[in-house]
Amino acid sequence: MQKNNVVMSEAERKSFLLNKIYKILPIISVVLLILLWFIAAGAENSNFPSPQEVFLRFITLQQKPIKEFNLFQHIWISLIRVFIALIVSWIIGIAFGILIGWNKKANALFSPVFTAFRSVPPLAWVPLMTMWFGTGEFPKILLVFMGALMPVVVNTQSGIANVAKMYLDVGTIFNANGKQLLIEIAIPSSLDAIFAGIRTSTSAAWMVVLAAEMLGGRSGIGFLIVRGMNSGDYALCLLSMVCIGIVGALLAIMTKYLERLVCPWTIIK
Amino acid sequence: MDNNKIKLKLENISQSYITKDNVFTAVSGVSLEVYDREFLVILGPGRCGKSVLLNMIAGIEKPVDGSIFLDGEKINGSDERIGMVFQKLALMPWKTVIENIEFGLKLKGMNKKTRRETTQKYIELVGLEGFEKSYPNQLSGGMKQRVGIARAYTNSPEILLMDEPFGQLDAQTRYAMQDEVLRVWDAEKRTVIFVTNNLEEALYLADRIILLSKCPAHVKESYDINLPRPRNTTDSDFLHLRKLISDNTDLAL
Amino acid sequence: MSNNKIEVKNLTKHFGDLHVLDDINFNIKKGEFICIVGPTGCGKTTFLNLLTRIYMPSKGDLYIDGELADPRKHNLAFVFQEPSAVPWKTVEQNLKFGLELKKIPKKEIDSRVENIINLMGLQEFRNSYPHQLSVSTEQRIIIGRAFVMNPDLLLMDEPYGQMDIKLRFYLEDEVIKLWKATGSTVVFITHNIEEALYLAERILILTNKPTTIKEELKIDLPRPRDITSPEFIKIRNYVTEQIRWW
Repeated sequence: MQKNNVVMSEAERKSFLLNKIYKILPIISVVLLILLWFIAAGAENSNFPSPQEVFLRFITLQQKPIKEFNLFQHIWISLIRVFIALIVSWIIGIAFGILIGWNKKANALFSPVFTAFRSVPPLAWVPLMTMWFGTGEFPKILLVFMGALMPVVVNTQSGIANVAKMYLDVGTIFNANGKQLLIEIAIPSSLDAIFAGIRTSTSAAWMVVLAAEMLGGRSGIGFLIVRGMNSGDYALCLLSMVCIGIVGALLAIMTKYLERLVCPWTIIK
Repeated sequence: MDNNKIKLKLENISQSYITKDNVFTAVSGVSLEVYDREFLVILGPGRCGKSVLLNMIAGIEKPVDGSIFLDGEKINGSDERIGMVFQKLALMPWKTVIENIEFGLKLKGMNKKTRRETTQKYIELVGLEGFEKSYPNQLSGGMKQRVGIARAYTNSPEILLMDEPFGQLDAQTRYAMQDEVLRVWDAEKRTVIFVTNNLEEALYLADRIILLSKCPAHVKESYDINLPRPRNTTDSDFLHLRKLISDNTDLAL
Repeated sequence: MSNNKIEVKNLTKHFGDLHVLDDINFNIKKGEFICIVGPTGCGKTTFLNLLTRIYMPSKGDLYIDGELADPRKHNLAFVFQEPSAVPWKTVEQNLKFGLELKKIPKKEIDSRVENIINLMGLQEFRNSYPHQLSVSTEQRIIIGRAFVMNPDLLLMDEPYGQMDIKLRFYLEDEVIKLWKATGSTVVFITHNIEEALYLAERILILTNKPTTIKEELKIDLPRPRDITSPEFIKIRNYVTEQIRWW
């Protein structure tokens, strides 16, 4: 059996190479960023911590924990808060979103009030939260919950309200009742919108938890930043920021894979 | 063919829509009769009236005027004796082929085992074995249409409505699908009401053609097609009929 | 040297292991109207994408007036199945659009567009917007816009795909009228053999993948063509047999 040789003209070879280069570009930009970091730190009169300092700080933090937790434990603490708040916000948010998306009366009743609440950023609630609940775990998680809830509700409601009429028509032809139309058609058809809400809420939750920790607490990676700021330990601040960025990116990737798992038809070509 | 028994009757059906400036009438005073187990084609130019008519029979829209009778009884809204194959397919992308086809049965509350058995029969009838677990967006246009047909048939409707099902397909796939539809109809005879704007397709398939005018649609004429099947589109009788009906058709620019 | 407007030489395209087009060779004379027919799935989209330079050929190439086809240099016009009128421009502005992009002088633009409007009977739609028109009228505008460019090559890919038969024949007559008035070189791709025979001076019949040219047929019938005449039917049956896969 003769092997079929792949034939490519010169123009095709060029475009093939170009595509390979596109894949390398992200790595190049990361390398450039780190290079920039070295330069910024090395400049005259710069207090900016250099990469070496940050790395050293990481090592010492592992050896001498702050408030009894090392770096990874602080990150884990923040993540736990996020996960709890997210799970609760997804359950309540999706249910509520379906309600106001599907039922016109509920929508008319709740929508205006909800829109008003939505406009208030989570951080504006901090004074009230502190007054009512103090500075323990509960108010922090509650704050994250509020930040995560909004995108879930909004996206779910939009998905349910905008189900393509033709799918509902199919249900009508088969004599589906209202409940069947909702469960068999509207909800599966809205899964991609619901996931958009889940993705947005995840990144929102990660940001709010850090802010909540910065405003009063003893643990978590946001707390580390404040600690660093208060003691002039900027290497600690920068170290925390790098970790925040990495964890945020990982969370985004995880939710993307979760969506692929639940909605396989969106990626099949 | 069981002729002279009237399966479906439309009496003076009209449909209008209120747009922001005025009232748009799509269907105006259409009355017609459909005989049991005939293959009726509703032919009309352009894009209005025909689908609306089917939607009203299927119960997706309520007519502004007039009544519809099935087996002599008035019907109001959707009826499970009437099945439909949609123009835009409306295959649910989140369901696999077999889940799409068994949808009607699932809504009726049939258990999974019986559902799968019935559905398998229709999957074989339309020639889609092996694709049960595929998703619609993995299929070609012709294959998607076959899923739509199987889905409608699986529910064992007495009347099958087909709304320009091959409109999105190219001319050659259309020929293949026309033979498909006739083959399936032959295997399980139902009353079929097939809507199309393609005269050649209408003549190839129909026992009888009802010609509609352009918007607002009303019945122009009814033609009995007595050519033996399978029909030849370049046959002189076929071409003669084609010219006859074409001359009577409105040009909808 | 040759009076060929378009030359396709040894056109071949692979996508990795997939051999789509295989050594396609043909020529088109200036002002000719040819139709390309083939079985479903016969790589015609790939062929079109090669012409528009979305892809590059693996071997061989296309030449216009002896030079490599280049959409920036040569005047290529396309009409696809879905109309693509610019929604925020009126009909008249849409017709002028392509010419304005090529920086033709205003007086020339106005006279050419006026000519087309009269030829197609579009006076009453001059100041309408695309969304106010029916799909078939919008498609006619697109076709008018293509012809008004006096293109080196006018490519039409199933422009009448979903329209009813009466409308199709009306539009086919119109396209022949436009072709005769402007003397453009037209390549019309369709799956509908009756349509191809109604329009073409010459037909190219393609095979299945790997696609090559099965046959070239000259269609010598007088216009307007009679689809019921025995000669027409004979050729139609012949071509249908050549590409029958169903």
